[in-house]
Amino acid sequence: MSELTTTSARSITIGAAIREALAEEMRRDERVFVMGEDVAKFGGVFGATRGLFEEFGPKRIFDTPISEMFIVGGGVGAALTGMRPVVELQFADFLMNAADEIMAKMGKWRYMHGGRLTVPMVVRMPAGAMGGVGAEHSQCPEAMLLQAPGIYIVIPSTPYDAKGLLKTSIRDDNPVCFFEHKGMYQVTGDVPDEEYTIPLGVADVKREGADVSVITWGRMVHVALKAAGEAAKQGIDVEVVDLRCLRPLDVDAILHTVRKTGRLIVCHEASKTGGAGAEIAAIVAEHALDALSAPIRRVCGPDVPVPQSQYLERLWLPGSKDLLAAIQEMVK
Amino acid sequence: MPLSNDIKVSIYRHMYAAERWEATLLRLIEQGLVSGLYHAGRGHEGCEVGAVTALVQDDYLFYDHRGCGHLIAKGADMAELFGDFLGNELGSTRGLGAGIVHVCDPAKGIMGQSGTLGRGQLLATGAALGAKLRGTTQVAMHFFGDGSSNLGTFHESCNVASAWKLPVIFVVQNNGWAVSVPIEYSTAGGGIARRADAYAMPGVVVDGTDPFAVHEAAATAVARARRGEGPTLIEAKLARMRGHFEGDPDNYRTKQTDTQNDPLVKTRRRLLDENVIDEPQLTQLESAVKESIQAALESARRGKLPDRSRIFEGLYV
Repeated sequence: MSELTTTSARSITIGAAIREALAEEMRRDERVFVMGEDVAKFGGVFGATRGLFEEFGPKRIFDTPISEMFIVGGGVGAALTGMRPVVELQFADFLMNAADEIMAKMGKWRYMHGGRLTVPMVVRMPAGAMGGVGAEHSQCPEAMLLQAPGIYIVIPSTPYDAKGLLKTSIRDDNPVCFFEHKGMYQVTGDVPDEEYTIPLGVADVKREGADVSVITWGRMVHVALKAAGEAAKQGIDVEVVDLRCLRPLDVDAILHTVRKTGRLIVCHEASKTGGAGAEIAAIVAEHALDALSAPIRRVCGPDVPVPQSQYLERLWLPGSKDLLAAIQEMVK
Repeated sequence: MPLSNDIKVSIYRHMYAAERWEATLLRLIEQGLVSGLYHAGRGHEGCEVGAVTALVQDDYLFYDHRGCGHLIAKGADMAELFGDFLGNELGSTRGLGAGIVHVCDPAKGIMGQSGTLGRGQLLATGAALGAKLRGTTQVAMHFFGDGSSNLGTFHESCNVASAWKLPVIFVVQNNGWAVSVPIEYSTAGGGIARRADAYAMPGVVVDGTDPFAVHEAAATAVARARRGEGPTLIEAKLARMRGHFEGDPDNYRTKQTDTQNDPLVKTRRRLLDENVIDEPQLTQLESAVKESIQAALESARRGKLPDRSRIFEGLYV
C-alpha cells in the first residue's frame, strides 16, 4: 500500500485479510495467541499466518507437534484459564482427528459445567478440494458440526467477509470453527482501511434477483455468481444468498429470499447426502413450503470421496455449469 | 521436609470427609434419589486428598470420575456436591449434574471433568500452557486412571507438557482395573511411571494408600512445576475397593475384603501410632466432620429439581 493512496479501501487477498485480522486482534488483546502445525516461522502451509511470528514472537504464535487432539484440547484448556487461543488445524479434515476435543470439549465444556466457564477460542480450518491433496485433505466437513451445538460455524467467501468475520470470531466468548477454503486464499476483493467487524449469523445477499434463490457459502458463492451471470444473459434473474455462518443461522434471510423468488437451490461443495443443504431444505419445508413454486434442488459435491488426481478433482467439484443447468430446469 | 502434624491431620480430615460424604451418597443412591452412575472412590481418597493438599486455591484441578476426595480437598462445597448428585438447583451446576458429575467452581480452581477418558490430560496441559503464557506460577493437576494411560491423548499431553516444560502434574491412580480389564492384560511396559522416561520427565511411583507419601511426591512435583522445570508423572498404586460404578456386579475379580489397603484405616492408625493426635481428639474431629456432612445433606435436600427451561441455559455466553 502506498502512503499516497487516498482511497479508504484496497484490494487484498483472502489470505492477507486473514493475516490482517489476526494481527489486529493480537495487537488489540494480549490474551490472543496462535498455535498450530507450521504456523510460526513457516507462516502456515497456506501462508495464512505469514509475518506474524516476526511481529509477535514465539510467545504469541508458536508451532505445535503433530498432535491435533492437543491443538484443540490444549486450546480449550488455555481458554478456560482466560486466554483467547486461535488454533489452526492444518486441514479441516482433521476435525475427525480432534472430533471429541471439538465437539465434546470445546462445544460442551461450558454447558456441562453449568455455564460457569467460558471457552473463547477459534479453530481455523483450511477446507475444500484444491490442488490434488486427496480424499483425506479435501473435505468441507462443516455439516458435521451442525450436530455439535455450542460451536459457531463461520465460512467466509470474500476478503471483506473473511477479515470482518474472523475479528468478530476472535472477540466472541463462544467457540468458533472458522473454515477457510484452500482454493480461495488468493481471491482478491476490496477491504476498508478502517477497522470493521461483521456480526455472526447475518447472511449477505451477494446478488439480488427475482426468479431463483441460490443459497450457498464459501467457494460456491463464486460459482453461484458466475452461474447467475450466465443465467442473466438468458433472462433469468438469480438471487445469490451467502449464509456466511451455519451457526448462528440466519433463518430470516433464508425464508425471505424463498418467499421472494419461490424457487430454491442450495449449493455447497460438501457431498450432498447429509450436507448442510439438507437442513436448509428442511427449514424451508417446515416454514415456507407454501411459497415454493418448484421443488427444492441441491447442487452439491457427489457422494464419493474427492479423488487424488487433479484432473478428476476438477470433475468432482460442482461447477457453474451444473448450477446453471439446475437454474434453467427450475424456471422451465 | 517432614510433614507437619497440622497437614497430616488436615489430610486425614479431608479423607474422612470424602469417605463419610460418599457413604452418605450411597444411601441416597439406594433410596433412588440419584440418577446416573456413581463411581465410588473408596480406596482412592488417600491419593486424591494427599495430592490436592499440595495445591493452593488458584491452582487448577481437572479431576477424574473416581469418588470426590480431590474435589472435597480442593474446597468444593459439600452441600453443592450433594446438590449436583441430587440433580437439583443447589448443585454447583444448578441441576445439570448427576452420576458422573461435572462439578465446577472456577474461584477454587475446580475446572471440571471430561466424561470421555484421556481428554482431561489435554485440557490440563492446555491450562498449564495458559498459566505459562500469562506468566503466573499456577500449576494444573490432573487425575486419571491406569486405563486412561492407554489413550493417545496421554502421549500427546506428556510429549507437549515436557517439551514445553509446562506446569502440569499428572496423577495416575493405578488401581489395576480398567472397568473389568486387569492391567496385566491391557498394559505394556511394566508400569505407567516408567513411561515418563520417554518424555524426559520425572516418573514417580508412590504407595497410593499412603496419603503422606503421595503428598510429598505431589509437593515436589508442584515445586518443580512452579520453578518452570515442567511436568511430573506420579503413579499412585492403590486398590479400588468397590465396583467400577455402583451397580457393577464386580464379578470379574476376587472380592475386595482386605482392609490392609484401606487408606483411611491405615492413616487413622498411623496418626495414633505416631502420636500426631490422640483418640479423643480424633473422635471429636470425626464427629465434627459427620455433623458438617449431615448439615450439607439437609441443606442440599431443600433444593428443587430444575424445570425444563434449565436444559436451554448456559450453552452460549
